[in-house]
Amino acid sequence: MDVTVEDVTQVWPGRRGVDVVALDRFSHRFASRRFSCLLGPSGCGKSTLVQIVGGIETASSGRVRITDPAHREMVRPLGADSVMVWQNLNLFPWRSVLDNVAFGLEMQGISKTERHERSRTLLASVGLRGFEGHLPGQLSGGMRQRVALARALILERPIMLMDEPFGALDAQTKIVMQEELLRVFDETKKTIIFVTHAIEEAILLGDEVIVMTARPGRIKEVLPVDLPRPRSLEMVNSKAFGSLFDRAFHLIREEVMTSMAQQTMALETR
Amino acid sequence: MKPERGTFSGVAERAAPALVVIAVLLGWELLVRWHGIAPIYLPAPSSIATYLFRMIANGSIEFNLGVTLLRIFAGFAVAAITGVTLGVLMGMSRMVARIADPWIAALYPLPKIALIPLLVIWLGTGEVYKIVISAITAFFPIVISTYAGIRQTDQGLIKAARDLGANRRQIQMKIVIPAAIPSIFAGLHLGMGVTIILVVAAEMIGSSSQSGMGFLLIQAGQVMETEKVFASLIVLAVVGALVIKLQEWIDRKVAPWTAYRDEH
Ligand SMILES: Nc1ncnc2c1ncn2[C@@H]1O[C@H](COP(=O)(O)OP(=O)(O)O)[C@@H](O)[C@H]1O
Ligand SMILES: [Mg+2]
Repeated sequence: MDVTVEDVTQVWPGRRGVDVVALDRFSHRFASRRFSCLLGPSGCGKSTLVQIVGGIETASSGRVRITDPAHREMVRPLGADSVMVWQNLNLFPWRSVLDNVAFGLEMQGISKTERHERSRTLLASVGLRGFEGHLPGQLSGGMRQRVALARALILERPIMLMDEPFGALDAQTKIVMQEELLRVFDETKKTIIFVTHAIEEAILLGDEVIVMTARPGRIKEVLPVDLPRPRSLEMVNSKAFGSLFDRAFHLIREEVMTSMAQQTMALETR
Repeated sequence: MKPERGTFSGVAERAAPALVVIAVLLGWELLVRWHGIAPIYLPAPSSIATYLFRMIANGSIEFNLGVTLLRIFAGFAVAAITGVTLGVLMGMSRMVARIADPWIAALYPLPKIALIPLLVIWLGTGEVYKIVISAITAFFPIVISTYAGIRQTDQGLIKAARDLGANRRQIQMKIVIPAAIPSIFAGLHLGMGVTIILVVAAEMIGSSSQSGMGFLLIQAGQVMETEKVFASLIVLAVVGALVIKLQEWIDRKVAPWTAYRDEH
């Protein structure tokens, strides 16, 4: 599925009547079966953008078109082909791991036997066999992250939106989860839009890195990542990776400074 | 801080509360005996215990406690069913919330004991009166907590459910109501606390039933049987604590996830 974002602007009503322009005429085509990383300083509108793409929020202006590359003329309803993995996971704390994963199937009215069967298989594939009956609160951060991933994967939607999914994990767990995600991507070839503020992560995972400006979020530059797939962690040491990192670092540095200045100003005027 | 097992200070920390209780009782006993305080004012713990056993032996504790507990559970059940239902309806429908809000705002701060004269005029002094006064009192904290719990549902969970294909009805049944359960339970705890108070108070004030722990207390008080007053108070305190423990046990059985809520 292609995701075409055209001139999307998002204005949030801010405190004391001062509106916040989160996105300013953002346009980009996220091509089918590509892994796109959105890299930008905190507060630049990354979450806002993926939520608009997922049909969770409605843009103030502009539009998002989801199209199947085989039938370009047919625009698909927003949200029907995508699923979100949230920054704070949003697991349902009262549901067992199994019932968290089965949630989407349950909403479709699929029988308990079938949805549990499918959830069990998927949980086993992400290394959570034996934890079906646990509550999310009983799991470690990395395990919870896997539950969130499985809960999204079970719907087999062609577009996966991931909002800083590994941001809260410790370094080792993060590496394992990145490898897990790369495996999923190679196996399922979904269209992935992955939000991150970690340069290394963006380059390691993505086919392209979209560097965003500080708020209002616009595209600063799109860096194609031509590292071969399947990707592996050793590539971090390659020369190609190094030069991509330098380029992205240079671009993002300025924006982070601007963003920090904005935050300081916001604090001072409070 | 958890006391360390085995060490001397650990053992001391565990034993200290019991030792203090024993010391207080002992001090009380000696004070009464040495100073020859009249039992009308302050009976010795030993004679309170004697009275307590006698009251258990002749069945008056069992009977009156049974009657009081029945009234408590009846009043609580009425308050819980009506309070949770209205709270959920208010949370689901803005219309219901708008209509109910001014009534709750006006009636909640009213001390419910002030309704006793009116209720006695309307309902007489029988069982209905005691159940109604306790149910009315317990109803307010229950409805308010339920409504607050429903309104304060984590928006992230609602968005996630919608993203996973839940429709409006499914979101209400599968997300909003379960998410409100800790808050509903908090309301039920408050409700149980006031039900106990109001039932005992109603048994003391203007009840024609001549039964219940409240009646036992007031009767003993009127004839200056202070030992009986103390014995009844002890029974009430112990039973109250047991009821609250039972409620906490039910909470854990019904909603085990609340134990991990903060880590979510
Ligand atoms: N629902 C909302 N209501 C009001 N303001 C919002 C909302 N969501 C985001 N914002 C504001 O929009 C800006 C961009 O936020 P966000 O998209 O979360 O940034 P990022 O994910 O890049 O850190 C921030 O200033 C944030 O405070
Ligand atoms: Mg964000």
